[in-house]
Amino acid sequence: MKLSELKNIDKQETGFRIPEGYFEVFETKIMQQITTKNGKTKNTVIALFHRKRIWMSSIAAVFVVTIAIPLYFNGTANTSMESYAIEHYLMQQQNVTTTEIVPHLTDEDITALATSLGVSATECDDMEAYLSESEHIEYILND
Amino acid sequence: MQDEKVFISELLNSKTQNEAFRKLLQLYQKPLYHHIRGMVLNHDDADDVLQNTFLKVYSNLHQFKGDSKLFSWMYRIATNESITFMQQRAKKQGITNEEVKEKALQRLESDVYFDGDEMQLKLQRAVATLPEKQQLVFKMKYYEALKYEDMSEILTTSVGALKASYHLAVKKIEHLIELD
Repeated sequence: MKLSELKNIDKQETGFRIPEGYFEVFETKIMQQITTKNGKTKNTVIALFHRKRIWMSSIAAVFVVTIAIPLYFNGTANTSMESYAIEHYLMQQQNVTTTEIVPHLTDEDITALATSLGVSATECDDMEAYLSESEHIEYILND
Repeated sequence: MQDEKVFISELLNSKTQNEAFRKLLQLYQKPLYHHIRGMVLNHDDADDVLQNTFLKVYSNLHQFKGDSKLFSWMYRIATNESITFMQQRAKKQGITNEEVKEKALQRLESDVYFDGDEMQLKLQRAVATLPEKQQLVFKMKYYEALKYEDMSEILTTSVGALKASYHLAVKKIEHLIELD
């Protein structure tokens, strides 16, 4: 090749070779990739639907929790308020004495009371025995 | 131009898209391959870049405004993809763009898909010494025989500037080959 040819020649050979059947394979490969790409887009639509369902479930769950939390806490508060109100009412009533309260105490209440006072069952029995032997027991009971 | 508008609308229509894109592939895969191969030199790399180019063309078809020819737009994408490919390779290997080109040239001598003679190899080496834009102009004119008007649209450079650039490139190459 002469150097002067560089200026005027229309097209020159590069010397690059291409594997046989390359363009046919390339065409098929690209068309497949594009079809897969389109297919993936369709799948994405399905995925979006699932996502929508998850969203709806999440919203429903949040809604239920929003309603359930105040109900739960209000319920607890009401119970404690109720106990407190009864206790307060009994304390305020001059006519209600321990004599009126004692018949309403259950076995559990008595056990709880004994536990809170730090008195064991044996001590209770000892105290009962002591009082029954006391000379002034009649006086104490009638007082 | 009217035909091209019809063709573009077929490419954008989901019913005719696949067939139109197949036609686009058949029309442009060869010239674009040669354009890319001239830039990256190696067949496997050209195959990767050509694939990226067509996939990019496909996903950006709706953005094509028709300001230029479809052919010029695709050539522009192919050029940018080739440049990006070389830059990414340079970054990956921690070397300069020039060193990447130099390596590609060295590999060319033992490339099974290159059967150029000594003169063609000499020419490739001489072209590689030119500034990047001048290399592009020379390859597009000399190897791909593109018209200056089309090159002007692809490279967004005036015809006059392209002619001057080609003339300058030829002079430099002649000088380099004479010295060799």
